Amino acid sequence: MINTTNHHPDENMLIEFSAGTLETAASICVSAHLHFCSRCRTKLLRLDQVGSQIMSQSEPMEVADNAFDQVMEKIDSADLVSSSKTSSATSASTSINTSDEGFPYSVKKLINTSLISKNWKRLSSSVDVARFKTGQEDFEVALHKICAGGKTPKHGHEGLEYTVVLKGSFSDENAVYREGDFLMRQPGDVHQPMGAQNGECICLSALSAPIVPTSPLGFLMKPWLRINPM
Amino acid sequence: MITSKISNTIPNRSTENRVAILNSSEKRSDQWSKLLISVGESRDRRAFSQLFEHFGPLLKGFAHASRNEGWFPGLGDDLVQEVMIKVWNKAAGYNAEKASATTWIYTVARNCRIDMLRRKSNTQHLPLENEDFWHEPDEDTPITLLQQKRSEDKVQASLSQLPKEQDQILRKVYLEGKSHAEASAELGLPLGTVKSRVRLALQKMQVIVSKEAQE
Repeated sequence: MINTTNHHPDENMLIEFSAGTLETAASICVSAHLHFCSRCRTKLLRLDQVGSQIMSQSEPMEVADNAFDQVMEKIDSADLVSSSKTSSATSASTSINTSDEGFPYSVKKLINTSLISKNWKRLSSSVDVARFKTGQEDFEVALHKICAGGKTPKHGHEGLEYTVVLKGSFSDENAVYREGDFLMRQPGDVHQPMGAQNGECICLSALSAPIVPTSPLGFLMKPWLRINPM
Repeated sequence: MITSKISNTIPNRSTENRVAILNSSEKRSDQWSKLLISVGESRDRRAFSQLFEHFGPLLKGFAHASRNEGWFPGLGDDLVQEVMIKVWNKAAGYNAEKASATTWIYTVARNCRIDMLRRKSNTQHLPLENEDFWHEPDEDTPITLLQQKRSEDKVQASLSQLPKEQDQILRKVYLEGKSHAEASAELGLPLGTVKSRVRLALQKMQVIVSKEAQE
């Protein structure tokens, strides 16, 4: 895939992603970005090599004598069962069509399994949203669709927000963001994204809740994106 | 304790050390990748048992090094079992042009470890397992096994030459599975210091290039 992305996760995020310690909201968006960005994939491979060498040089621990036999037993009994199993990656019927859009695997899986509603929900005259069930209060994951030339309301965020452009492009005061671009916004950043004139734009966004999610007023005060625990 | 052992060997024998490490890993990384290919292509049980013999104890050590929420005493044996079963099942999809066997098995182990800890520690409804984050398209610029091996050898050699505090931070991050924030709390260092120390270590190893060249 040709690399056209200009906005990348920072190095520490990639490092934490490679070590498997990055928080979920950020991981989902980094993973989506990697789908589009060969530059970051190459970096990640190098970082994974570091992890693999650290693992290789760690203190080995003796494994029980029968551990191998146990594994083979499980493998043999699973082989019998799995021959009848087929892939379940087929798309559920939803108005959010991603089948041929080249979306990242993790996003497709979310769309097929975890949408709160199978239809886009109007958020403003130019923005639609489709939220995912996460079962957690400390982050929210959603797709946003900005119509061509659409202006979104000016808004701020209480938590960290990560965004990856999945299709089309949008712009704000600072730059134009295209397919695969990764953005991170700090709490308090205020911005006003605008959809490109030449077509709709679909973004994946993940919002980390503020550090004190238990505040009763928190739910009332979140503008635009709100934590929506299921 | 591990860290001090390693950093103590650095000062004067570095060249000798490096040659020894290069020689031993040259044989190794080739060997493991070939065995893994053989498991994938012909369900070769002999090859699989050799992989098991080598990686089993490393995987158990890797599980025990975790200091994360959800850790339990049986994690080591469970991880060995789960990872090796995955290795068997996914071996057919292993592509030696994308990663060496060691790196590939590390990524399986890392993802498994996170998912197992997560299952124990909370009830997140998100249907994503950690391995779902690693479905990447095939590269248009494949890397040969030889290139992989060279690059891994370099990583291995430079790892053993890191100053103690850099070695320590990388182990915290990769082996113990600590986030930058957790490492910062544990070491009593500001988050920014942890972040830059991790980057410095990786720059020194030439895994990442310096910041100025990037932005």
